Amino acid sequence: MSADASAGDASTGDGAAIDDAPRPATYYHLARAVLYREFLIFVRYPANAIGGIVVSLFFFAALFLGGQLLAGQALTDSIEGIVVGYFLWTLSVGAYSSVSNDIGSEVQWGTLERHITTPFGFAPVALLKGVAKVVRTFLTSAVILAVMLLATGTRLNLAPLTVVAVAGLSITSVLGLGFAAGGVTVLYKRIGSWLNLLQFGFVALISAPVFDLPWTRVLPLAHGSAMLQRAMVDGIRLWEFPPADLALLVAVALGYLVGGYLVFQLATRRARRLGVLGDY
Amino acid sequence: MARSATSARGGPRERDDTDAARDESTPERSPPPALAVEGLTKRFGDGDDAVTAVDDVSLTVERGSVVGLLGPNGAGKTTLIKCALGIVIPDAGSVRVFGTDVRDGRRAAYADVDAMLEGARNDYWRLTVRENLRYFATISGVDPDSVAARHDRLLDRLDLADKADTPVRDLSRGMKQKVSLASVLAGGAELVFLDEPTLGLDVESARTLRAELRRLAAEEGLTIVVSSHDMTTIEAVCDRVVMLSNGRVVADDTVEALLGGTDRDVVRVASPDLDRETVAGLREAFEVVDVDRDAHPPAVTVVAGGDRIYDLTDALRAAGVTVSDIRTVQPDLEDVFLDRTGTVPSAAAGGESS
Repeated sequence: MSADASAGDASTGDGAAIDDAPRPATYYHLARAVLYREFLIFVRYPANAIGGIVVSLFFFAALFLGGQLLAGQALTDSIEGIVVGYFLWTLSVGAYSSVSNDIGSEVQWGTLERHITTPFGFAPVALLKGVAKVVRTFLTSAVILAVMLLATGTRLNLAPLTVVAVAGLSITSVLGLGFAAGGVTVLYKRIGSWLNLLQFGFVALISAPVFDLPWTRVLPLAHGSAMLQRAMVDGIRLWEFPPADLALLVAVALGYLVGGYLVFQLATRRARRLGVLGDY
Repeated sequence: MARSATSARGGPRERDDTDAARDESTPERSPPPALAVEGLTKRFGDGDDAVTAVDDVSLTVERGSVVGLLGPNGAGKTTLIKCALGIVIPDAGSVRVFGTDVRDGRRAAYADVDAMLEGARNDYWRLTVRENLRYFATISGVDPDSVAARHDRLLDRLDLADKADTPVRDLSRGMKQKVSLASVLAGGAELVFLDEPTLGLDVESARTLRAELRRLAAEEGLTIVVSSHDMTTIEAVCDRVVMLSNGRVVADDTVEALLGGTDRDVVRVASPDLDRETVAGLREAFEVVDVDRDAHPPAVTVVAGGDRIYDLTDALRAAGVTVSDIRTVQPDLEDVFLDRTGTVPSAAAGGESS
């Protein structure tokens, strides 16, 4: 700020105005701003989170009670697997829809452009937003998991590091899908709501037969889901997994994240060419 | 913002066109202008449906000046702004922001430019006013703590200090618009685009916003490009006006020069004696622009510049007209626009006008 401009401000009695030379923001400031915003919205508008938890639990209750009627003992035997699978599904849906819906909303509000035209570039902002969404989803899904365990009387291995690492990497691939869907929404606004149906496809991915069809391991979620089952049901710790399994988990996560981001980038580039970015 | 000191001190507002021309011809001696657009062209669609939104537009905006883009809806104002921001990729031409090509080094250019786009919220309604300023300052590349005092000052000037900790969604429309403006200015961008900033505001809020814009430009040394179809906003805020019609620049000059340049010195004469016959007589010797028979008393508007005013009074006396009222009609930007394009900028849109 110029001294000239501040001088005229002496009447406000704001002495600090004289030397408020702006300092450039670092990635630390960026991370703080993005995460703090997510936090504020989370704590200030808890109804969204609570609503999501209630709906998820309602679906689980329907699944559990209906399953007991139909399958009886067979369901009770596999209840651990179902709880783990459902936990991963709520995580996936949370990560996917929060990212793709968020992009949709930001387009509507005209705030997406401001994130695209940031000197940081969109990628770090998007990544931080993704991290914030994942953290948030872990919090709500943890509540859902706790209620499921209590209601069904199931016991699982909940080694935090293992569960967070395996589940986190599993849903990173979904985060990539969320970015891709968000990008498509920027271009074709009406398709956006249809893409939400994709989350039901996650059920198939989570229960993919990775032992019979090993190639399904490269699909999002499938390999991670199998590892999460072993971790939570059989009590395998993160460092007890074969390195190849861990490497594949990381590779799939990064592959879909980068791929999804590239789709988003291509879509926004096309949107800029067509002039549909910032069309309210 | 480091640049704002230079622009405020230099008082570029007082510069005239010759200065601007000299700046352009000696780029090595003076810093590059805030905005330099050259041969910008953007077409949307293909084949018969193709629309040329911006057609070979070139213009320069000097640092510290406030320039208006005036034109009806569809004239290309918004596309021009979006091209300058890099939100729309042009088909041809270049845009430089403080000397940085938007296409090559967008990230470098983005640090100095921000925009309030028409119809957009531009901020988060679920955050408070201050949270928005801090968030968008960071996004624009500025540590929010280092500009906290500036934010206080900005809120003070925009009369938002009491509402600093109120979520934006709880504010009135006029205040939301001001928060949107504040969030755009929060990061200290030196070149700010404001697309229809008074659209949808009531008369009072629009007037306040215009006054604030003028003050902010002067005190903060900002370079502002205001796009509007509303002449009142442009006339009140801008030093210079670029008129756009069908994607082309039809005029680019200071407000005074444009208003002075209309060769239509128009006089409005009111008299109870202005009957049909008298008016017909006047039409033979003068260009009668308008006849208002419903007025009390009836009035005619006649082009009578320079010495023609004497001819007019002579003719009125000869016709036995007792004049109740005679006044010159000041041309406004709408007249200028009409002269140059044959259309009225506000014709295509309904919006705030006061």
